[in-house]
Amino acid sequence: MIMHEEPRKVYYLFSPFLRIFHWTMVICISFLFTTGLLITKPASGGVSMEPTFGNILLSLDLIRNIHFIAAFIFVAAFILRIYGFVINKGDRLFPRVWKAEFWQSMIEVSMHYMLLKPSHRPYLRNPLARMSYVGLYSMVFIEIFTGFAMYLMVNPNGFGAKFFGWTIGIFGSEFMIHLIHHYIAWAIMLFVIGHVYMAIRADFMEREGEISSMFSGVKILEHEPVDVGEIMDKESSDTFSDRKPLHAGQQETKM
Amino acid sequence: MDKLETMWDVCLRKNIKRRSFLKSCAALTSIMGLNMDMLSKVVAAAEKNPLPVVIWLHGHECTGCDESFLRSATPLTSDLVLNSIALEYSHALSAAAGEPFEEHLHQTMQQYAGKYILAVEGAVATAENGIYCMTGGKPFVSVLKEVAKNAAVIIEYGACATSGGIQAAKPNPTGSVSVREIVGNSKPIVKVPGCPPIPEVMTGVVMHYALFGKLPPLDNEGRPKQFYGNRIHDTCYRRPFFDTGMFAENFDDAGSKAGWCLYKLGCRGPVTYNSCGNLRWWNGLSYPIQSGHGCIGCSNDHFWDEDPFYKRLPEYGPILGDVDKIGAAAVGLTTAGVALHGAMSVVQKKKRQAAEEKSDGKKVE
Ligand code: HEM
Ligand code: HEM
Ligand code: SF4
Repeated sequence: MIMHEEPRKVYYLFSPFLRIFHWTMVICISFLFTTGLLITKPASGGVSMEPTFGNILLSLDLIRNIHFIAAFIFVAAFILRIYGFVINKGDRLFPRVWKAEFWQSMIEVSMHYMLLKPSHRPYLRNPLARMSYVGLYSMVFIEIFTGFAMYLMVNPNGFGAKFFGWTIGIFGSEFMIHLIHHYIAWAIMLFVIGHVYMAIRADFMEREGEISSMFSGVKILEHEPVDVGEIMDKESSDTFSDRKPLHAGQQETKM
Repeated sequence: MDKLETMWDVCLRKNIKRRSFLKSCAALTSIMGLNMDMLSKVVAAAEKNPLPVVIWLHGHECTGCDESFLRSATPLTSDLVLNSIALEYSHALSAAAGEPFEEHLHQTMQQYAGKYILAVEGAVATAENGIYCMTGGKPFVSVLKEVAKNAAVIIEYGACATSGGIQAAKPNPTGSVSVREIVGNSKPIVKVPGCPPIPEVMTGVVMHYALFGKLPPLDNEGRPKQFYGNRIHDTCYRRPFFDTGMFAENFDDAGSKAGWCLYKLGCRGPVTYNSCGNLRWWNGLSYPIQSGHGCIGCSNDHFWDEDPFYKRLPEYGPILGDVDKIGAAAVGLTTAGVALHGAMSVVQKKKRQAAEEKSDGKKVE
């Protein structure tokens, strides 16, 4: 087996808040998606069913409540994401679309993913990934707005309906809202496939601790990443750990 | 008819007993969705306020709203038309016709300028200068504009008036639009959608104005809150079946006979706001779902373009078809694509390593 023995550096990126949020999101979306599909096409016991002996698992009420509970937890978890964003630079790796450099890197990385270039420059998070997360968050917001619009319009005169009800106007009708909500649900699934693949692939191709980064908060890179400036203060360098070279396999991680 | 009578005056003139008068007031109070504490106010208003002048126009429509209106039980339509409003002009209910009738319309408009209620049933055909709908020899669109100019309030009765009606279904050859689109927001407009609206809702809205001199509280779409403040689905007596997961799968199966939820048969209850679930029709006799037919969402704007009615979310998407099948296919394709990309990446990585080994062999042990 071939072992690389190059010096590698540990970069602390993700605050625990971001990481907890990420995995909460994964769990919530799994529940939301499965229960969502069951809301569209409810399982049913068929016409021989007896009300008294109805199976609780066939209960659409239960399915819907799971959907709503997952939705509430998901939305509540955003507070963690926001807190992380405030306290930690590594949680702020969003696209810097106002910089020409960003777009150049984007082309470079795209070339690599189109298999036209053997490798791309090292990044803490590459521009394509950054854009994909903006896409995901946008879709999630559409789901939240359309979802709460449907949910809260139980009482169209209530406070909640004032807050979210206008979403229905944007898409024309509540009928369309149900469809949009459902289309976006599938679009999110497509993101997930691409995302999980990219995480595994990055892990395999660069061996930079990609997947584990969402657990430990750190990535381990061989070369100094192009976007390292984003997590460093100008003077001090205490946001990323020791500048001492470390060996793969014996790195220290830091929370 | 210079000084207008009040409801009480009418009762006196017609020898209707005080007791009956009070009973009608009580019935009105409840049908308007008001608290019974309001009864004394309703009685006072019925004694003091002159009957409101109503001009009722019919545009591009089937007159089904009239059919519904005629069947109002509380208040009785006859009561309303003869004793509670001064209905000066109506295409469908007037005995008069021709020139004198049109003349009467103009007199009414002048005499009560700024005071009359304009009730409109039917859409406004706009294509080809409105020639698809003519009344009294003129395009309806010009009649409407003329009458609307001096109206105090406008009531849009029925889906045609509120969003163009069946004739506005794609591709809408007659260019039918709602009344609001012609009149704009210059006048207070109340939207009473439905195809047709529930009779008691029609009478309730006009009575509210008759008694209190103002429109009932409206929601953000301009519909009276007390009648359009609930989803059918949230007031449906079949909801327990929905919650338990008991669905009719076909109109001839045992579930359908047993009165189970019609969700899978395309019921639009979950997206429709109306009073069918609590007021019901024909004096509380029944409503579509109780009769075994799913709601078609007739009080929704453009419900006619959301067909077919017997499919839920027209089988999950209008043009594309079942989004779950498309989604599953897309997921399959993406997975395959990703797997292929993965394989090619591995090959590429091997090549890259080989190249690196060649260029400086000492990196690899
Ligand atoms: C429902 C499924 C998932 C969704 C919606 C999702 C979404 C996201 C989002 C939005 C981010 C960016 C975090 C931020 O900066 O705000 C992210 C990062 C990340 N996710 Fe996921 N994720 C999902 C599943 C997974 C799974 C299953 C894995 C593990 C294989 C994973 C691994 C990662 C990693 C490693 C990162 C950091 C990547 C980077 O630094 O660019 N995710 N994910
Ligand atoms: C990523 C997040 C979400 C996914 C993937 C998702 C998925 C789905 C799907 C596929 C449906 C079925 C659509 C239909 O046939 O009507 C649905 C329905 C629904 N979802 Fe979501 N959803 C998400 C988030 C939310 C949120 C945040 C809420 C807010 C409360 C919400 C509330 C609802 C409601 C009210 C329905 C309609 C239930 C009904 O008609 O009985 N969803 N969801
Ligand atoms: S019949 Fe229609 S309105 Fe009634 S519970 Fe079922 S889906 Fe809802």
